Amino acid sequence: MIYLDHHAAAPTPDAVRLAMEEAAALAWANPLSTHAAGRASRQLLEAARERVAESIGATAADLVLTGGGTEACNLGIRGLAEGCSRLVTSEVEHPAVAQSVNRLKSDGLAVTGLGVLAGQPPSPDELARHLGPQTLVAIQWVNHETGTILPIDRYAEACREHQARLFVDATQALGKLPIDVSALGADVVALAAQKIGGPAGAGACWIRRGLDLKPVLDGGSQERGRRPGTPDTLSMVGFGAACRLIETRLAQQPRVAALRDHIENSLLARGAVLNAGPPRTATVSNLSFPGWQGPLLVAALDLEGVCLSTGAACSSGLQEPSAVIRAMYPDEQWRAGSAVRISLGMETSQRDIDLAIASFERVLDRRSD
Amino acid sequence: MSEVKRVLVAMSGGVDSSVAAALLREAGHDLVGVTLHLWDADGAQQVGRCCAPEDRDDARRTCEHLGIPHYVLDEREAFRKHVVDPFVAEYQAGRTPIPCVSCNRTVKLTYLAEVARRFDATHIATGHYARLQRAAGGSLRLLRGRDDDKDQSYFLFGLPQPTLERLVFPLGELTKTEVRKAGRRLGVPNADKADSQELCFVPDGRVGDFISRQGSATRSGAIVDREGTVLGRHEGVANFTRGQRRGLGLGGGGTRYVLRIVPETAEVVVGDESQLYERELSATDAHWVAGRPIKSFQGEVRIRYRHRGALADVTPRGDGFEVRFDEPQRAITPGQAAVVYRGDEVIGGGFIA
Repeated sequence: MIYLDHHAAAPTPDAVRLAMEEAAALAWANPLSTHAAGRASRQLLEAARERVAESIGATAADLVLTGGGTEACNLGIRGLAEGCSRLVTSEVEHPAVAQSVNRLKSDGLAVTGLGVLAGQPPSPDELARHLGPQTLVAIQWVNHETGTILPIDRYAEACREHQARLFVDATQALGKLPIDVSALGADVVALAAQKIGGPAGAGACWIRRGLDLKPVLDGGSQERGRRPGTPDTLSMVGFGAACRLIETRLAQQPRVAALRDHIENSLLARGAVLNAGPPRTATVSNLSFPGWQGPLLVAALDLEGVCLSTGAACSSGLQEPSAVIRAMYPDEQWRAGSAVRISLGMETSQRDIDLAIASFERVLDRRSD
Repeated sequence: MSEVKRVLVAMSGGVDSSVAAALLREAGHDLVGVTLHLWDADGAQQVGRCCAPEDRDDARRTCEHLGIPHYVLDEREAFRKHVVDPFVAEYQAGRTPIPCVSCNRTVKLTYLAEVARRFDATHIATGHYARLQRAAGGSLRLLRGRDDDKDQSYFLFGLPQPTLERLVFPLGELTKTEVRKAGRRLGVPNADKADSQELCFVPDGRVGDFISRQGSATRSGAIVDREGTVLGRHEGVANFTRGQRRGLGLGGGGTRYVLRIVPETAEVVVGDESQLYERELSATDAHWVAGRPIKSFQGEVRIRYRHRGALADVTPRGDGFEVRFDEPQRAITPGQAAVVYRGDEVIGGGFIA
């Protein structure tokens, strides 16, 4: 099996699996219990928090651990929107952000969506035109489907200048770009373990010191009152272990980029059309294939042993045309329906890519017209 | 089946296609399950019939049980365009369409043939109760399923030879009872699921309600007798079909039946049951399974799915054919398919004008 769907979930590295297996024997107790069993669990939980914090230049106390990236986005956006009258976002957000924003919109918040046409992010000046006090910017750092990198540090400057708040969805940036929240100037940064080889049920919100966010759920006063519910020590141990590999991941980016370029060029030569080129991460190529529906091509490649996806949301096994590609190419609607996302990671080898290209060639030859 | 490499199985989530898949799996074939997402069931109809997410889950569960890959592919656009829209238009024109025929021909099997090619599958299997047999001349003959009560050859007359060449009907030689038994023996998860009786996209059978949900204006009008005397009013032509007795809302004066619907005026003409019997029909848009017959011949003609068939002389004419029955038939209904058989073999079919 050749796995080229790293943007959906990165494979679990051995180090992560081993750390979680070890923790499973020790960390079953409630980490908030004051007895010895609880303390053992708490110790692992806090060590994991340290690991996550270190990997993004944060202080552990400023991290709220969540049950994944979606929860982190909900918590950050809803919390920061308190007291804001308008919100600026992009038109290519992940549903975790887009739907959080939609809820606020239906609650009466004025929302502006900035276009990312053909994968070109809005300039900081364009963003600045929409900023003012009581404005929240909720935006992704790296696009999940195309890898498009948004200039978050410059957005942060613009926000500071106009006294606007900034929420950053960094779930796809973690492990692909160096992150230093202490220098970034954002108010909240959301993270997910799944994209770096940790478990799907672990995420985190970095919250700027002094900000007081209301929890999304009602319950106990865990995580300093910002996230009720018993923390999932086991998942967080996995998250922490995955964070230890971030340096390795980052060091692999040039190699990954070369592999990505290789498969991309091969497929472009066979009639594929590139969706959103640079600026983008090394890890992904989003291509549309004329004469193919994305889900059909994904299925045909799956039968060849190549795992990838259209990148779009999936309900009951049915994949809708990509909203991201639709928004990036409003005048070329065919692209969204025939888009496929090839996403790589540090585990991807030259052999994987060669075999994947061969599979693509076999499958693409079956087109009728 | 010769040179079978990989078989695409069309999985609706029902018992028949599940058992078809299980039987092929048992025979050792390399299978791929495909469920076409054709329509979004609305509201309360979402549970327990085709077009519901539950059916797609059932199909997936069966494939997981069999250890074969399963994909859901979206054909909603084509289904609306080639099946639902014409269905609505036909009803509004006072006819009683048979959407399964055009769905099989224009949407389902055409698309599945394309999918099969892209999946490098040599064959397509469905859970239809029908059989295929190679004729001496090399072409394929389409035959009734062995189970008289479940036979679905009526819906398949429109399939061209290249499609038939790819098709496999694993249930053709079985009865429904045997199918359920095989399902239980092979551990098919939904072996005891109830059969669907109605159109997949109108599971409650209330066509009139369905058509008004599609935003098509109701065509109400007068109910008249054959002399044109107004006997009452009705709420929409789509609620009626030839031979119908219920739902006319006419008091007294004996039982009356719908004789015909006048498309121009939206009038529903009613009369006695005896007036429903006719000896002749003409069919349009004919398809002949193994080629157009040159001259008239004697066959058995079925005028609706549940019609047992009646002896008739069939004469090909233009792109259609004329039928003269030996005995008058009750309620020959415009829009339904007239399918011509000789013994178990489907010679061809067309749509009643």
